[in-house]
Amino acid sequence: MSKESLWKSPWFKYLLGGFILGIIVIVGINWGMKVTDSRPFCASCHIMEQAAVTNKLSIHANLSCNDCHAPHELWRKIPFKAKEGIRDFYMNTIGNAQLPIIPGTETKEVVNENCKACHAISNMTVSSTEAKPYCVDCHRDMKHMHMQPISKRIVADD
Amino acid sequence: MINQIILKSVYGLLLCLVVVLSGCGDVDTELKTPEYNTGLPADHLGNLAFKKIFPLHYASYELNNESSIMTVYKGSVPYMKNDNKDPLPEGYKYAQPYLKNLWLGYPFMYDYRESRGHTHAIGDVLDSDRPNRYAFKSGLPATCWNCKTPQMLKWTKDDGNAFWSKDMNEFRERLHPEDDTVGCVNCHNPQTMELQLYSEPLKDYLVSVGKDPDKLSRQEMRSLVCAQCHVEYYFEKTGVPAKPVFPWAKGFNPEDMYQYYKEHGDSTIPGFEGQFYDWIHPVSKTPMIKIQHPEYETWIDGPHGSAGVTCADCHMPYIRGENGQKMSSHYWTSPLKDPEMRACRQCHADKSPEFLKESVVSVQKATFDQLLIAQELSVKAHEAVRLADEYTGPRANNYDQLMIQARDMIRKGQLFWDYVSAENGVGFHNPVKALNTLASSIQYSQEAINLAMEATKYAIGPNLQGDIKEIVPPILVMSRKLQQDPEYLKTNPWFKYLKVLPKAEIEWDGTKYLGDK
Repeated sequence: MSKESLWKSPWFKYLLGGFILGIIVIVGINWGMKVTDSRPFCASCHIMEQAAVTNKLSIHANLSCNDCHAPHELWRKIPFKAKEGIRDFYMNTIGNAQLPIIPGTETKEVVNENCKACHAISNMTVSSTEAKPYCVDCHRDMKHMHMQPISKRIVADD
Repeated sequence: MINQIILKSVYGLLLCLVVVLSGCGDVDTELKTPEYNTGLPADHLGNLAFKKIFPLHYASYELNNESSIMTVYKGSVPYMKNDNKDPLPEGYKYAQPYLKNLWLGYPFMYDYRESRGHTHAIGDVLDSDRPNRYAFKSGLPATCWNCKTPQMLKWTKDDGNAFWSKDMNEFRERLHPEDDTVGCVNCHNPQTMELQLYSEPLKDYLVSVGKDPDKLSRQEMRSLVCAQCHVEYYFEKTGVPAKPVFPWAKGFNPEDMYQYYKEHGDSTIPGFEGQFYDWIHPVSKTPMIKIQHPEYETWIDGPHGSAGVTCADCHMPYIRGENGQKMSSHYWTSPLKDPEMRACRQCHADKSPEFLKESVVSVQKATFDQLLIAQELSVKAHEAVRLADEYTGPRANNYDQLMIQARDMIRKGQLFWDYVSAENGVGFHNPVKALNTLASSIQYSQEAINLAMEATKYAIGPNLQGDIKEIVPPILVMSRKLQQDPEYLKTNPWFKYLKVLPKAEIEWDGTKYLGDK
């Protein structure tokens, strides 16, 4: 086969088209994942305002919500986000979410894993995971300033 | 229902689209409260006009009509707080059996019930036996309406300082129990719905400490709107007649108030000159202080109060209204009624409702148990001073001085237990202060007994031996009507210190006057 015919082969065109499309899709998904990890997206439902405000006031303000609230590995993160997103959408529309919103065991486990993921080195020489099940059992203010007066965290909806 | 679900789904999807397309703005950490313009006039007072404008808030407010749910130590059934014999709604197992004895000669001996929702405030005053309803005049000042109705804004504007000392019954016919009871305008500006203070005595206090009542933070206001009423107060004797004052100039604690009242009265009683008193206990002849519901003073330096957790944080938790809107609950009641303890779990999310409830009740049990002990000793102190007062045998050389001191200790001991008894958290708003105050009360009442013994060279000792409940039986029933019956007044040894009231028929039925003016 000549060199010219390789460039002109329809197979090559399809391959190239597919490659470009693939890049667009991957970049798109990546962008979409980033946006939907972030505080502005999460806070776009008013019921999340308290969590968003207290995050923005906290030391973790420059991290995204899902740096704590979803698994970091992609193969776990995608189904987790889809499941949580569908549930939250349901509860915000058809469902009847009540205040206060209290995290379930699964979220607590995921958040705790992510504490350890970033802060492993600080805890290398101590058995800090043994006495208390969760890091935030001591680092309580990390739970969205939960021990602060209500007026520092929440206002009524319009 | 199906339509609603479809509508909500479509609305939700559209919202998501808008959010994604709009590029998603970040939250504002300023936490701006919503703004309103009701269209009502600036001097509007009544509650009913707000029903149409804020239907969800009004519905939440109307939940205060509930008066059947009890918790362990509190609740909304207006039972007689001294009656531990009868079942609900007349009595309750955790009542304080000596209240009528300890308040003998004071209107509280006729009627003192468990408190309930704000929506009943006017109705319950109209039906109370504390103001006299057997004559046109109640014998109590119009100041008694101060914490019951937004009409206060109009009445004090019309009459100025002359309002306070008018007779309270003069205002009965002007009241509409539902429209005028504690409501919207007691806490809100009727036009903008911003939090505002209507209370004269609270504004007087704030000015006295250099604060501008119109320029307070949202955080402060979330407690101060309650502090307009849930406080200890007295009616002035030396300044504007019957004007309400909060006795806070020396501090919020019982010792501070005891010292304050030493300097703010017109007493001419030997040993108590210039001191304030609410009434003279007819049995021990002691000039007494009555403490009323010091919730604010108790809360302010307790574990929650000193951490800045406000009244509204626990008593007006954010809930989601029928349409999913985030709003403050306007159902002011015991947070323990909620099986989920949601108000607490806004902060204590890591605790179970059962754990939280047990933590509250264990504090309340300790407080209530000690309260009854303090009250028994207080009764014994009145009895000891009565015996010493009537003792005709050889007295100690400094008898008069010892009796002044003994009465001072009765007064102080009773002020201390009343500070806890009248407070509606049963210790929970400030556990350490409640138990410390009761321990001090027990100490002062015992000191009164010791001094009375010493004054009689210990001759009254044998009369005080044994169970106080047999020496001075608790008074279970007393009313203005029963005090007209000389036969009934023979049923308790302490009744002989009361005057028989002239025979009279009831002249007031709620807002209606039945007699001849």
